[in-house]
Amino acid sequence: MAGTARVSGTASQDVRWYERAVFYEVLVRGFFDKNDDGTGDIPGLIAKLDYLEWLGIDCIWLLPFYQSPLRDGGYDISDFWTVLPEYGQIADAAQLVDEAHRRGIRVIADLVMNHTSDQHPWFQESRQDRTNPRADWYVWSDDDQRYGKARVIFVDTEKSNWSWDPQRGQYYFHRFFYHQPDLNYDNPEVADTMLDVVRYWLDIGLDGFRLDAVPYLFERDGTNCENLPETHSYLKRLRKEVDSLYPGKVLLAEANQWPEDVVEYFGSGDECHMCFHFPLMPRMFMAVRREQRYPVTEILARTPPVPEGCTWGIFLRNHDELTLEMVTDEERDYMWSEYAKDPRMKRNLGIGRRLAPLVDSDRRVAELLNSLLFSLPGSPVLYYGDEIGMGDNIYLGDRDGVRTPMQWSPDRNAGFSRADFAQLYLPPLMDPVYGYQAVNVEAQMRNPSSLLHWMRRMLEVRRQHPVFGTGTMTVVSTDNPSVLAYVREPAEGAGTGEGRPVHTAVPEADEALAAVAGVVGNAPGAQGAGRAETLPADVVLCIGNLSRFAQPAMLPLQRWRGMTPIELVGRVPFPTIGEDSYFITLPPYGFYWFALVERSISGSC
Amino acid sequence: MGEGRFCLVEGGLPPGLEGMLAPYLARQRWFAGTGAPSAVSVLESGALSEPPTGGRLLWAVVAAPEDRYQLLLAERASDQAADRVAGHEAALVGSAGGRTYYDATVDGEMAIALLEAASGGTEHADIARPLVAEQSNTSVVYDDRLILKIFRRLSGGPNLDAEVTTALARVGFAHVARPVLRWRKGATDLAFGQEYLAGGTDGWALALTSLRDLYAPEVTGSEAPTGEEVAGPGQKGGDFAGEAERLGLVTAEMHLSMAGAFGTSRDWSSSWARLLASAEAELQAIGPDLARAAQPLFQRFQAVSDLGLALRPHGDYHLGQVMRTDSGWYVLDFEGEPNRPVEERLRALSPMKDVAGMLRSFDYAAQFGAAQYRDAQFDLAGPGAGGPVAETLESLAMAWEARNVEAFLHGYLGCSGIEELLPASAGDREALGLAFELEKVLYELSYERAFRPGWAAIPLNALRRLCEGLGGAFAGLAGRAGGVREGKAG
Repeated sequence: MAGTARVSGTASQDVRWYERAVFYEVLVRGFFDKNDDGTGDIPGLIAKLDYLEWLGIDCIWLLPFYQSPLRDGGYDISDFWTVLPEYGQIADAAQLVDEAHRRGIRVIADLVMNHTSDQHPWFQESRQDRTNPRADWYVWSDDDQRYGKARVIFVDTEKSNWSWDPQRGQYYFHRFFYHQPDLNYDNPEVADTMLDVVRYWLDIGLDGFRLDAVPYLFERDGTNCENLPETHSYLKRLRKEVDSLYPGKVLLAEANQWPEDVVEYFGSGDECHMCFHFPLMPRMFMAVRREQRYPVTEILARTPPVPEGCTWGIFLRNHDELTLEMVTDEERDYMWSEYAKDPRMKRNLGIGRRLAPLVDSDRRVAELLNSLLFSLPGSPVLYYGDEIGMGDNIYLGDRDGVRTPMQWSPDRNAGFSRADFAQLYLPPLMDPVYGYQAVNVEAQMRNPSSLLHWMRRMLEVRRQHPVFGTGTMTVVSTDNPSVLAYVREPAEGAGTGEGRPVHTAVPEADEALAAVAGVVGNAPGAQGAGRAETLPADVVLCIGNLSRFAQPAMLPLQRWRGMTPIELVGRVPFPTIGEDSYFITLPPYGFYWFALVERSISGSC
Repeated sequence: MGEGRFCLVEGGLPPGLEGMLAPYLARQRWFAGTGAPSAVSVLESGALSEPPTGGRLLWAVVAAPEDRYQLLLAERASDQAADRVAGHEAALVGSAGGRTYYDATVDGEMAIALLEAASGGTEHADIARPLVAEQSNTSVVYDDRLILKIFRRLSGGPNLDAEVTTALARVGFAHVARPVLRWRKGATDLAFGQEYLAGGTDGWALALTSLRDLYAPEVTGSEAPTGEEVAGPGQKGGDFAGEAERLGLVTAEMHLSMAGAFGTSRDWSSSWARLLASAEAELQAIGPDLARAAQPLFQRFQAVSDLGLALRPHGDYHLGQVMRTDSGWYVLDFEGEPNRPVEERLRALSPMKDVAGMLRSFDYAAQFGAAQYRDAQFDLAGPGAGGPVAETLESLAMAWEARNVEAFLHGYLGCSGIEELLPASAGDREALGLAFELEKVLYELSYERAFRPGWAAIPLNALRRLCEGLGGAFAGLAGRAGGVREGKAG
């Protein structure tokens, strides 16, 4: 598609782009090193935008790239107005956004609103004494007993949510590390300034934010200081500001909680546009391990509906997973406790592993899991490197094991950097299975049967069917517990609701399907004004086999009798659905996506 | 819940049709006799409704000859009927006077007309599909929302399943599919409609999924690197113990609800004595050496001092009667063991009757799963038996059964209030459990010998184990019970 501004040109009409988008999480440090200093940078990311465009993702999600002492992976921001010098300058960030938009790719970034680094000038000023202009910008107290009901989140390293500052002679409050003091949102100057930060980056062109640690903005006596009404009203204020000045920008909340609690962050469609669905991730792995669908269908059945214009962010891997420590009430989720007992499943917890090692580099399982990710309700979030099946290095410890350099080619330093090996921020993987000699972008681009090409193809198919992003989901009953089947179809009244933007259909795809199926009314001469009415509704049937053995399934598809399932990757028409249940067989870990298409009565050929 | 009024229009089966009913009945799974009945007579018949697209929905009760059956037939002009019957030839009765008659449940429109008639017009549907795998009744699923069970062999009174399910729902037991309608003629239940548990799988299929995961690597050798220890059921991805424990809890809740709905009785010693006497007699008939070996077992039974409470049990409780859904386990089919007389099925017994039934089912599943690999012919004594693979399978089967029995009992005994229904001492509980296990095994054996001789080895092996004191599902319950209640269920 030509055009200089695919994104900005459509932004005004397509404010709900995020409902159909595929996100791609990038660690700037690990993506590509343009200035040969051993650390990835923003110009490096710009240089690889062509690759991301080719892959077919819609939105880049950047981990924090602001000035920071990097004691918490950049989540300890010491200046909201500048970029970490290793990564580049503000001008580089602006150029990244422009270049991405030119390719039809949007860019969102992490923003930490709850706290700053203790190196932030605001905190440095605030700690001077009790009377300076920013004395009240953080949460200070003479004792460390206040807000005693607020749990300590990082129990391994922090004993209390309060730390003593000898300079000021008072305690300051911090929900995370002691070097990350919480901002005081009760101070209107703080609340206003953080909106300035948001406007500043949106003016530069960012398409939105992933809001880190959003439940903790306010503190109140006698509460656990999470999910407070004050926090929600601030989010509403933020949303209003964004909607009025920057329509089409997205707010994605990180609230590491259960879906029934997280939905509060959608408000009534007037807080965040998106929230992560945390428990779905381990359950997708659990379903494959158990060879049955209940871990997945159960959590979806327990997921409340989201307000109009809101959607979930779903993922197989990112740096941001549910950890056991975050689960305060295990009893609420028995599957969770079962999961935690399984020694093999335990390693899926936390952030230590990438997708490919988790599935024992079984390509079939990786494809099956990705097929779920791309077809379950919500917007998929990919983690950089998983599209080529990169591995991890668990000996690097903490989060670094999954943050090794992107493997671009079999050349020196995985093609990531021309710096001396010893200068690299982390060594690239070099083991015989996942090392860059074996797993890299260049080799996989040349091999049409590679995982990379498969991912690209699936993303293309997904893009052709907006229903994957916006449709409802209905599980199709089947007696075989190893088979998960569901139908995605447009919500009733979709596109007719007042004020609801009409989603850009992808006519090429519909036409192609219509041609395969011999759709009524698509005969030559039937084009023109009446054509739109004859296009098939976008209904997709997804069937997956969670077992390592071939499986049969009888699917009660009578509601769609007379329709023809057309396999979406190969455009192969399957037998038309009749009065009886539809019989299908699946290879080990096999899956199908079918468009259900009306067939002409004459049914030529 | 809807109470459909029974309402017939004049004009039932045409006279010519009566003669075609015998071969039709013989083809039906729900027909209890073997071969075509010698005579079929229509006792009552009439038209229930006339669907908008033509034809009539007919209802009849026939005697064939000793049992009474409910028929629901579609009548359509022969040229219209052909398409609708295609693929369901067993459902065809025949043609008379240019009209064709066939089982109405295979005709979507007729099935919907039936739902409307049975509910007195309160229920409607767009799509009807008959379930195919059923034995004694016919069920039709409407819009994946409602299931109508049409009773075929009429008892002349209330249907136990409809009665018990309705009563359990009334006392607030959440693990039965919600009753929606009950269609009756006088005191006779004709059909029973319930919420359809969409997305559910029966416990038997789920257990076999777990067992497949356990057995397959041993058989194919594909996943066990040489020299590595065989992974037990607790280390495998398909572990069933969590499901078994939750099922145990639901079972206990079912018994507490049964007690609430139908009451309990303290004195059921005559039923207990009858149970022991008939078990002893059956054992004698099977083999005097077995009966002799079982003497110590019977002495334990005689020594039981506290029988606990008796209540109306599920009566035919096994993995095929429970359904796993997105909201947990549901219990189905409260009709009791179909081969026992109704009076016997109504008898109050210890809830250990159902516990034993389910635990027997764990053994069945484990053995059935193993046999699928051991020998496709299901001949346990055949050439496939023996050898290292068979031995491994056998030990895995026993480990799976033991693990899930343990988990089930943990869930069951962990339910608060359940101890009030059971004997106070763990020893008496174990004896009760063993007695009901023995009763169940004997029932299984006679059933298998009559209908599926190839399966008889499963109960026979279990019987040997029990009689020779080598254990059964309950052996060791006494030792376990103490610690069990500490664990929190769920």
